[in-house]
Amino acid sequence: MDTFEPVIVAFCCHYCAYTAADMAGTMRYSYPPNVYIIRVPCSGKVDALHIMKAFQKGADGVYVAGCLEGDCHFKTGNIKAAHMVAYLKGLLDEIGIGAERLEMFTMSAGMGERFARIATDFTERIRKLGPNPAKAGSDKTDKVAVG
Amino acid sequence: MITAERKPLDEIIDYIKPFSRILLVGCNECVTVCAAGGRKEVGLLSSALQMAFMKEGKVLDVKELTLERQCDPEYVEELVPLIDQVDAVVSMACGCGVQEVAKRFKEKPVFPAVNTKFMGASERQGVWAERCQGCGDCVLGMTGGICPVARCSKRLLNGPCGGSSNGKCEINPEVDCAWQLIWDRLKSLGIEKTYEEIVPAKDWRTSRDGGPRKIIREDLA
Amino acid sequence: METYEDKYNNRALVIGGGIGGIKAALDLAEGGKNVVLIDKAPSIGGLMTQLDRTFPTNNCDLCTLSPHLAESGRELHIDLLTLTELVDADSEGGKFKVTLKTSPRFIDLSRCTACGDCFKNFPECVRFTPGLDHRAPTCMRYPQSTPYAYSIDMAKCKDVDALGKVCPANAIIPDDKEKLLELEFGSIILAPGAELVDPRPLEVYGYGVLPNIVTGLEYERILSASGPTLGELIRPSDKKQPKKIAWIQCVGSRSVKEGCVSYCSSACCMYALKEAIVTKERFQNDIETAIFYMDMRTSGKDYELYLQRAKEEYGIRLVRSRPESVEREPGTDNLSITYTITENTLPVRENFDMVILSNGFRISDDLIGLAEKLGVELNEHRFAKTGAFEPVATSKHGIYVCGLFEAPKDIPETMVQASAAACMAMEDLQSEGASKKPEEEFPPERDVSKEEPRIGVFVCDCGYNIAGLINTSEMVDYAGKLPQVAVSEGVGYGCSRESLEHIQQVIQEEKLNRVVIGGCSPRTHETLFQDTIRKAGLNKYLVEIANIRDQDTWVHLDRASEASDKAKDLIRMAVTSVALSHPLKEHVLPMNKDILVVGGGVAGMTAALKLADGGFKVYLVEKSGELGGIARTIRKTLEGEDVQHFMKDLIERTTNHKNIQVLTKSMIVDHTGMPGLFTTGLQVGPRMFYRQIKHGVTILATGALANRPREYLLDEHEAVMTQLDLDGFLEDHKDKVKAWKKVVMIQCVGSRCPENPNCSRICCQSAIKNALRLLDINPEIQIYVLYRDMRTYGFQEDFYREARKRGVLFFRYEPDDSPKVSGRNERVEVIFKDPILNREITVTTDCLALSTGLVADEEDTEDLAMIFHLPRTSDGFFLEDHVKLRPVDLPVPGFFIAGTAHSPKTIRESIAQGQAAAGRAQTLLARDTINLGATVARVDSEKCAACLICVRACPFDVPFINADGYSEIDPAKCHGCGICAAECPAKAIQLMQYEDDQIMAKLDGLFERIA
Repeated sequence: MDTFEPVIVAFCCHYCAYTAADMAGTMRYSYPPNVYIIRVPCSGKVDALHIMKAFQKGADGVYVAGCLEGDCHFKTGNIKAAHMVAYLKGLLDEIGIGAERLEMFTMSAGMGERFARIATDFTERIRKLGPNPAKAGSDKTDKVAVG
Repeated sequence: MITAERKPLDEIIDYIKPFSRILLVGCNECVTVCAAGGRKEVGLLSSALQMAFMKEGKVLDVKELTLERQCDPEYVEELVPLIDQVDAVVSMACGCGVQEVAKRFKEKPVFPAVNTKFMGASERQGVWAERCQGCGDCVLGMTGGICPVARCSKRLLNGPCGGSSNGKCEINPEVDCAWQLIWDRLKSLGIEKTYEEIVPAKDWRTSRDGGPRKIIREDLA
Repeated sequence: METYEDKYNNRALVIGGGIGGIKAALDLAEGGKNVVLIDKAPSIGGLMTQLDRTFPTNNCDLCTLSPHLAESGRELHIDLLTLTELVDADSEGGKFKVTLKTSPRFIDLSRCTACGDCFKNFPECVRFTPGLDHRAPTCMRYPQSTPYAYSIDMAKCKDVDALGKVCPANAIIPDDKEKLLELEFGSIILAPGAELVDPRPLEVYGYGVLPNIVTGLEYERILSASGPTLGELIRPSDKKQPKKIAWIQCVGSRSVKEGCVSYCSSACCMYALKEAIVTKERFQNDIETAIFYMDMRTSGKDYELYLQRAKEEYGIRLVRSRPESVEREPGTDNLSITYTITENTLPVRENFDMVILSNGFRISDDLIGLAEKLGVELNEHRFAKTGAFEPVATSKHGIYVCGLFEAPKDIPETMVQASAAACMAMEDLQSEGASKKPEEEFPPERDVSKEEPRIGVFVCDCGYNIAGLINTSEMVDYAGKLPQVAVSEGVGYGCSRESLEHIQQVIQEEKLNRVVIGGCSPRTHETLFQDTIRKAGLNKYLVEIANIRDQDTWVHLDRASEASDKAKDLIRMAVTSVALSHPLKEHVLPMNKDILVVGGGVAGMTAALKLADGGFKVYLVEKSGELGGIARTIRKTLEGEDVQHFMKDLIERTTNHKNIQVLTKSMIVDHTGMPGLFTTGLQVGPRMFYRQIKHGVTILATGALANRPREYLLDEHEAVMTQLDLDGFLEDHKDKVKAWKKVVMIQCVGSRCPENPNCSRICCQSAIKNALRLLDINPEIQIYVLYRDMRTYGFQEDFYREARKRGVLFFRYEPDDSPKVSGRNERVEVIFKDPILNREITVTTDCLALSTGLVADEEDTEDLAMIFHLPRTSDGFFLEDHVKLRPVDLPVPGFFIAGTAHSPKTIRESIAQGQAAAGRAQTLLARDTINLGATVARVDSEKCAACLICVRACPFDVPFINADGYSEIDPAKCHGCGICAAECPAKAIQLMQYEDDQIMAKLDGLFERIA
């Protein structure tokens, strides 16, 4: 592989971030195709397990995107999500995957531009970090197994 | 409830390094409630360990199972169908659960994944505080329902030490002085007199000093 | 003239698609009435959609408004006609024969997908709206516009053929014609809004001449993320970020000068504070903000707290002064404002980088024509004239008004009036018999539980929107090879009627049991496809949409091959996930249609009567022995209307109504159930009998207390009384009043102070009312009003002006230098400071009237809040579901609020909210069953450890540990956020439609390619 194309999973809340992503589309703000959006009703619905499994299955980066603070359709979901993300970052550091591969962002439904910018910046960040070390390790195993 | 906290991952990884197939066992009682070893924590640890192995180019096969209660042999029996498929067991239960599993499967190494901390109560979501040390001779009846053994840093039984200031403990200013709490409580109950009663030196034989303890209910046993 | 197929002969016409009109139309539709909603503009939304954020929550509008708009677009009972106005009307026997004119859009709404190709290629032909929109990136008024379609200005189009060819959906109709429709209506609601006062003629401000002066609305557009600068704060002249901004209040309002309006525009103080706060939030110490004002009129619910925050938390400078002029600072694009403050006799000049004019509202000329055609009378300010105790009824029977056309106001008040107007219109339509559109008949649902998934994939090309970048037939081939996919097809425009019918047919022929659509956003189209598969006999939760347009082809325009790979990934993710979906049942319960109204004051009685007139059974529970509440002690309104006469009639009608059971001396003691199925326990009468009432809806109208703080010798000296006391005293003791020489009034007694930080809203107008009545009785009285800000909002300003004209003296005092009062035999001596002369004045007065306002009945509201699980504000009033958009709904479904239990308000405002609550209640009562949706959390009792984490995590306090010892989540109360599911440490909770295995399946689908 000459250039590394990261795979990024973005868990987006229905009311703000997912709408902002649609808005980016409406306004044709381009961002790298590396970002895959999974819709959830609220960022507070994102389970720490979903994020860990995403990394385990091979994601190079994951982010959770919710409403701006105070704007959560479900009052406090985005705050809970932010706490969960902060906790998981610690765990990712512990196993050597790296906290910087995970992030929490907030935006309002109207912020298509912000959505695109975050997608772009985050993709760049992960590109610099290189592939998910777990995936890189298992690629090695595959080769060993095959070879 | 018994409270526990996940061990640092390095320590767990160290235990299981020699193996490639493990059984990760949770418990649906205390450790679920204190978010240390329930089904969700089992899933998270499983994922974390597998990734840690993958990073080293190794494969770790993890079987996950959360028992209703790991400290009862009948529930531990549910592990039997899985045990032959693994090299070692990692338990996310308190020390009791780990030992029950170890007792049942003599031929398999069993490792703890959590540090069992104390018997406590939840102050609010995500915060647990020590409330009882299992001394075997409860004094709460005399201390207004606040335990000086568990909650006074010095386990004093006859009022506070000289270090209590503004209702806080000198060992840690974040901790309430247990004796301040006891005094306030006795006062609000109108039984300040109780405070005057001298409590003789506590008989610690009912505590750990008598060796491992056992309770036998003749009617049930 | 074209004839319009009149499918449903009984309906309401709503004129104006702003937030008020939309709300009224939605309420009517939810209440089962048919509505035609017309707007002159190409899309609905009105003024609010152009705002950046709204006070006092500083939320983004689009997030909160757009669901309402989308709802309005798809509601079964609403026909939306944009680019349409009323040209003629005729009324006969309670019916209105109306001619509507629809201007050509030159675009077929059913085909336009809002792809924007027309705009890209022929920007000059696509319609813009005025203001700062000339720099807007899109010609739709806002990005989530309803209808979601463009509109063409044919006059500007030179090459019609080329324009037609550029549209991939073939939606352009070059020969689209103006259409005239003749329709009949049972009722009409006017919600045409108002325009903003044009500051150009007010030369002192230099708007339109000097650089960097914008109006408040233009500033909103600059701040807005969807505005012309994409939310970047830059000033027009040099595109630099300003460092110092001034707001000037009352531009064109509260002035009798040419080009101005004399009333107060009511909303500008708050919007200026909001703009300043939002600016400060973003730039902190990097920017200076100053507001020049005459009186800070923050008299709405919790608005005073907002003002305090603006001053203390954000450091916004407030300058009490009406600036004399704005000039250009020579040689720069900066501006200098000249103003005088009371502390200083000489004018001050101060420089700013940018100046924002808070211009008020006025009625546009074309509304005069509209009113004339409808025979609706206007007041002296050209607003619709309404009755003193009929806040939304115009002079013409059957025609109602809401929002700005009634009087200047902010959004929550508009929402209240909209619901009130809908309630009034519902009554007119009721007599006409059933008016429901036939509900669509669905075939029975096929049981798919035992079948292996047979998935059908349908890929839209959406014209060039998808197919322009990627090869959709490649997608179709790819999807066809995925496991469990039985059919894979391309469908062109999947959302067109032909395609939907085709999909339906394929489902039936091929016995499909799951469907994936590769198309646009589920946000906009999920319900459509859910309906489609439901028509084909499948449960509606068996469809998944892969968003390959909005989130793929539209955003990766320069990377066709990556976009193509991604589309495959997205389709695969949808396929793996939909395979795990299963039929979900929407929870349905029968509806109890009785209503419990708590509180027998003006608001409670108004609501009860409206509902009883509509044929519903009402239980009206009153704590005291008599109906009437505070209004029973009020004699006159500011406008001079007789309150007692009105109250006598209201109480009589309530007591004698056959559908109303009045329970006085009654207290609520317990409550259980869910909307449509409530049970409330009461202790009734002097002997406190316990009885239970079963009801479907609850309206809270428990009122407030007349405040009586122990200040300024109140209840100690005979000459000291409250404004409420004086209101009765001056009627009963005219002879005494005739002998009075001096009267002093002190405002804000017991309000706007640390103990009660909010403004009581009604006291300024009470003081003016009593002052004018005193002068009517005894023109010789010298009246002194000691105030902090005179908050005579809206048309109350007229009376304030009249009071000044008639010699009432107004002196401003500061809270830290309040008047001193002491007894002097029968009279009272008041010492206060004249801020202009800067010296003390001593007045010995015959009467000291204290404006004490209203406070919440802490004890009462606390008990009720506990029993009903309702939140309260810090000062004890009930907190509504959404302070902006749902001011009548309480956060607990099935609960509505009216009157002063919500916040202090006038009788008129209480009546409006009472009617609104009755209207909102009818939207629920129109249903025979309650559909609780399917996206709810479900607990696996086997796994549950009863740890309480869900109980504590739920933002709505729904889960509880039941008698069996596990967590129970009532589907009727669950809001479907899924927070409990995420936090459960035992993984015992699943959120339906978003179950863990479905989310994992998406991840599996995604990483299959990589693996």
